[in-house]
Amino acid sequence: MNSFWTVVGFTVKNKLRGKAFLITTIIIALIMSIGINLPYIFSQFGGGDKVTNIGYIQSKQAELAQGSATGDQLKAFFEAQENPGLMLVPFEDKGSAGANEQQLKKAIADKQIKGYLEFGEMSVSGFPEMTYKSEKLMEFEMTSSLQGALQMIRQSTILQNAGLTEEQLALLNAPIDIDTVQISAAEGAGSLGDGKSPEEQAVNMGLIYFIIILLFMAVMISGQMIASEITAEKSSRVMEILITSVSPLKQMFGKIFGMFVVVVLQIAIYVVVIIGNISMPHNNMALGNLNIDLSNIDPALLAYAVLFFLTGFFLFATLFAAVGSLVSRTEDLGQAVMPITILSLAGFYISIFSISTPDSTLVKVTSFIPFFSPFVMMLRLGLTDPPVWQVITSIGILLVTIYVAVWISAKIYRTGVLMYGKRPSWKELRKAMKAYKV
Amino acid sequence: MNPLKVDRIVKQYGEKTAVNGISFEVGEGEIYGLLGANGAGKTTTMRMVLGLIYPDEGQILYHGKAYSSDQLKNLGYLPEERGLYPKVRVSDQLIYLAQLRGMSKRDADASLKRWLERFEVPEYYNKKVEELSKGNQQKIQFIASVINAPKIIILDEAFSGLDPVNVELLKSTVKELRDSGTSILFSTHRMEHVEELCRNITILHRSNVVLKGNIKEIKKQFPKERIILSTESEVLGLERISGVTNVIRHEYGYELGIANEAAGGDILRHAIEQSAITRFEIKEPTLNEIFIKTVGGDSHE
Repeated sequence: MNSFWTVVGFTVKNKLRGKAFLITTIIIALIMSIGINLPYIFSQFGGGDKVTNIGYIQSKQAELAQGSATGDQLKAFFEAQENPGLMLVPFEDKGSAGANEQQLKKAIADKQIKGYLEFGEMSVSGFPEMTYKSEKLMEFEMTSSLQGALQMIRQSTILQNAGLTEEQLALLNAPIDIDTVQISAAEGAGSLGDGKSPEEQAVNMGLIYFIIILLFMAVMISGQMIASEITAEKSSRVMEILITSVSPLKQMFGKIFGMFVVVVLQIAIYVVVIIGNISMPHNNMALGNLNIDLSNIDPALLAYAVLFFLTGFFLFATLFAAVGSLVSRTEDLGQAVMPITILSLAGFYISIFSISTPDSTLVKVTSFIPFFSPFVMMLRLGLTDPPVWQVITSIGILLVTIYVAVWISAKIYRTGVLMYGKRPSWKELRKAMKAYKV
Repeated sequence: MNPLKVDRIVKQYGEKTAVNGISFEVGEGEIYGLLGANGAGKTTTMRMVLGLIYPDEGQILYHGKAYSSDQLKNLGYLPEERGLYPKVRVSDQLIYLAQLRGMSKRDADASLKRWLERFEVPEYYNKKVEELSKGNQQKIQFIASVINAPKIIILDEAFSGLDPVNVELLKSTVKELRDSGTSILFSTHRMEHVEELCRNITILHRSNVVLKGNIKEIKKQFPKERIILSTESEVLGLERISGVTNVIRHEYGYELGIANEAAGGDILRHAIEQSAITRFEIKEPTLNEIFIKTVGGDSHE
């Protein structure tokens, strides 16, 4: 047991000391910090109180009076709002259409306004025909907010004309809410059958995304590292001394466990960075605005997350170790680990793309298949309430698979580390296993 | 009881027999030579001694006991293909390897420092292996195999790739280890090293033992066929002496092949009539010649 910890210590120490680890950790932590602060940074730069000015001609001429009136109405409407995104700016009539256009274009050039409205003939809508002119393409947002405003104006005019009281008007405009609570008909495992409120669902979905991505990253990064370190030991022939010093099994699991410690440490750093960033006052408010309350996270879900993270990690790590032991040169490694990479990618994609349909048959079936279940069962647990027996069965299958994978990987490792040259075929491997009596 | 006893071990890889019934014993303070052409079964034998693979038949005893993982502490191994972590500091990896063999960290550190002093390279303690020259990496590799003071050391091509100064340094170290009672299983293609270091040898050829025993005894089995003759002036007519098979002229004199040892006297008498003799030697066959005779003859098949 003692040499096991020696291997763990050596693995951890070397990884932590390496420049690669330090640099990737810092870069990812930086990206995370920027990502979290992005909404705040954007809000500082603009958005919120930034108002788009739109020009129109205020004219006393008879044929333009309708247009001017609409412009005034719009102006009044937006001014009455708390945070108007638009502001109407009246311009004096210069007499001719050409001169007016000249004047408005100049205002755009002077950055007084972004664009302007031109009014035409009266239409059946009760407003004159309108054209919004600006230098930009695709100003759908602008026109739709103008449309919305005009609709409101028209509605209130008509309703007022119909003689409704203020209360009746308020009643008409009162928003209608439907609350959704996700429940489970049978006894569920996720949050013990007491259902999930929309806030909980949102937080859970975020958490599930986070955990699945984390697991995938941990599996891919550490798996590749485990495999490539073992191959490097083999190709640099340190392996020959190592296997004469410590039993291959201890060596393999020491390496896997050491890498696990490194990954957990890395994740811990990221979590600290995330929490640190989120709890900064300006971000705290942003989260509050989005109705996200981290205390809504279900502790049972977290426990399951840890469990599936552990099992998923060790299942893939042992496989990566076995493959790494078969390859003699680092150049051949990428190709050799491909099947495992695809396996973990498949699990990852199934769960990510099913996040809106967590009760589909695909999800239900794959949540029992060992290589996918860490990803997919997590999804089911977070977003639905799968029956307890299903969760236990899934974990049971996973544990049995890990046991078998460890057994096979240990055998492959024991044999593989001594085989040099081209990657052995299954037949050669079996033969060698027999010969080495492992 | 000898520290290492290999008893009629057989190893088969599928149809192919890699090692066919090898037996030998290495005594305390003895360097045992294991020789053979490439692919003769040396590495397989060594791997079996190291417990990496198990023999199909026969047994290997360490101080009279069968292999168990406890034996790892007593074994040191210098593999033919050198291997260390290129990007890890010398101190880190050697202490690691020593710890894996059951040494405490402090003992390992002290032992490493002593060995670095011994090889006159204490400044490598904090260097990464990839920063060292090949010969110096070799020294570090050697230290890796002896750092835990093992009772049995297996040296596979210990001196390859070293300059003559370092070969001498390592050779004297190996002799010191021998004198301090370590049993060493030694494999090399350099026969002069074997002659200098080993008392007993086994020559393997195609998985079988072809020659085995004390080097002096072995040499006696082979006739003396070479004479070295150095004289002050030229000697004529050497090739006409009966029993002389060939004459080669060197800068230092003559090298003669003879059919039997009796021809030696005739040659000496013949030469002494013509010139003063500075050197006359009836040479024992070198191990190199013996090796080529027993193994080389049909190795091209």
